[in-house]
Amino acid sequence: MAEKRRSGVSMAEPKSAKADSEEEFLSQLGVAALLRGSLLKLVEARPEDPIGFLADHFANLASGSEAADCGDGEPSRTVQDRLSQALWHLNLAHHSQRSAFNNNVRVAYELLMTGGQHLRPGGGVRGRIYTELLRSLCSEAGLSSSTSAPLLRRIQCQDHEAVPFELFRQGVLICTVFADYVRKSQSLYLAVSGGSELPAQRALCQAALGALRDALDTAQCADTARYLEASAKIAPCTLAQAMASAQSSYEAQAGTSMDPEEFEKEAAALFIARVQPVS
Amino acid sequence: MNSDRFALTIDEYLAEKDVMFYLEDAITQLLEHKEEYVQFGVSRYLAEYFNSVRHGSHVLFREFGYIKATPHNRASFIRIFWKCYRQIGKNGVLLSALEYSSLLQLICPDFPVEVAQGAARMVLMDDALDCPMTFADFLHALQIQLYFEEFIESITVIYQDLLSGKSPNTVIVPTSTSMEQLPPLATSETAAQEGVDASAFQDAVEAACERYKHRHPPAPAIGEILQQDERVTLYGFLMALAKHEGISEEIGSLPSRANLLIDPEMDQELERLIAQISVSPTSSNSHTAAHRESGRKASPRKSLHHRKRIEMESDGSTEETDSSEN
Repeated sequence: MAEKRRSGVSMAEPKSAKADSEEEFLSQLGVAALLRGSLLKLVEARPEDPIGFLADHFANLASGSEAADCGDGEPSRTVQDRLSQALWHLNLAHHSQRSAFNNNVRVAYELLMTGGQHLRPGGGVRGRIYTELLRSLCSEAGLSSSTSAPLLRRIQCQDHEAVPFELFRQGVLICTVFADYVRKSQSLYLAVSGGSELPAQRALCQAALGALRDALDTAQCADTARYLEASAKIAPCTLAQAMASAQSSYEAQAGTSMDPEEFEKEAAALFIARVQPVS
Repeated sequence: MNSDRFALTIDEYLAEKDVMFYLEDAITQLLEHKEEYVQFGVSRYLAEYFNSVRHGSHVLFREFGYIKATPHNRASFIRIFWKCYRQIGKNGVLLSALEYSSLLQLICPDFPVEVAQGAARMVLMDDALDCPMTFADFLHALQIQLYFEEFIESITVIYQDLLSGKSPNTVIVPTSTSMEQLPPLATSETAAQEGVDASAFQDAVEAACERYKHRHPPAPAIGEILQQDERVTLYGFLMALAKHEGISEEIGSLPSRANLLIDPEMDQELERLIAQISVSPTSSNSHTAAHRESGRKASPRKSLHHRKRIEMESDGSTEETDSSEN
């Protein structure tokens, strides 16, 4: 790729002397390595906006080296800076893109591990930073703090603890999956309420939540069989049956409704109940 | 881009947003302006370059070849032209094609006159080409002319063929003759029937879009326009493209027509300027109006340098205030 860079530049100038001095100029600056590194990152992350990614990437590099140039004795970047950089990395790839996502988690982990005044015994990210990161992940994904608070209570660490990589990765994964889950339950609510502005009928909501709970409860057998069985329980026809029978019983009751916040809370609770708390 | 971007090859992914083009241009610019940029460090320079690409300010004062090179560049240029000169629209001043061309050359030194003339031809329906035009009309025509330049060349050939009775299915590669060299379209046809059959034209246009794979307006919009009347003229069609709000929205550079002339910062600055001029001791009553006029006419240039400074110093922070207008 370095050859491509050089040939891309030198083709502009036919005079070899000028091309030579330009090549020398560029290699003095280390441009080839810089570009190679940025392209590798770009192609690995495959963000939707490659131009923006490159702008941020070079800005990160620039502020890193600029900070290194000015005096020592100061922490090279504030915790806040490193947090926002880590968040930026984590947002590059969706968690379903497993290998890209895992790479980004690794990068974020190392970002948050370095620096700081004293080395933690046994390494790892400080608990306070870890908790802060998880909280920011949830809020950046659009979750309200009331929705994410119960989850965070389960998985956050003590301020002074050192968080090892595997735990870090799990925590980040749980938060991103949770964010997706809440978004899906929000659209489920919209579907149940038929898209109108009125809140959905309580009985229908409860039927939907019940089906969801059933599906999530499937725990007995091996993984693949579990997924198949769970999907069967939440299949459109099953859900439709549950909702139809709820509908008929609803007619006997007064029209109570469930508002979106309550639905979201119930759905979230189903998820959180299955998250193992960090001891 | 969609989530299929992970299925693309590396080259395809990079080509979607012309990444290699921008990287190469960044390095070329760095070499051409070594003295200016080296003091910042390469990373900082590249960060600034890509940031300005992201915000669309990178095309200002660049050569026309660069502006034409990518769809993003073309769209950004239209947006810059709009931002620099929207005050003209506010004052209801009408300008001719050559005058607009001069304005264009202020922000792009080698902007070809033919492009501005092509846009004018659209607005004026190929007639009375010295006639002055409103800013809004010209701007929208310029947008289509620049953004879909290759498409327009193709369909002009198609139209000529249909007009002269040739079968539109013969494969004709448009030559590089610029539009003004094509014979005037006010032929003997106009006496009896104007233009060509709309559905035949539509079929031929859609076939061309398939075949040539150049950028073209969304097919539903084309269909919508061509289904309105039985017959269509070339410039009628092009002007309908220019006026189509949906197409303008797709390109994404300009706000809706209603919001085209809103520019609160400039309004404030002009009010300040006018206030200064009116209290100046050398102005008399009879000259006030003329001064106001020149105050307004001078402002695009003043705003240009003003904005150039703003954009280069504050990393595109003017973007934040503009976004509220969209």
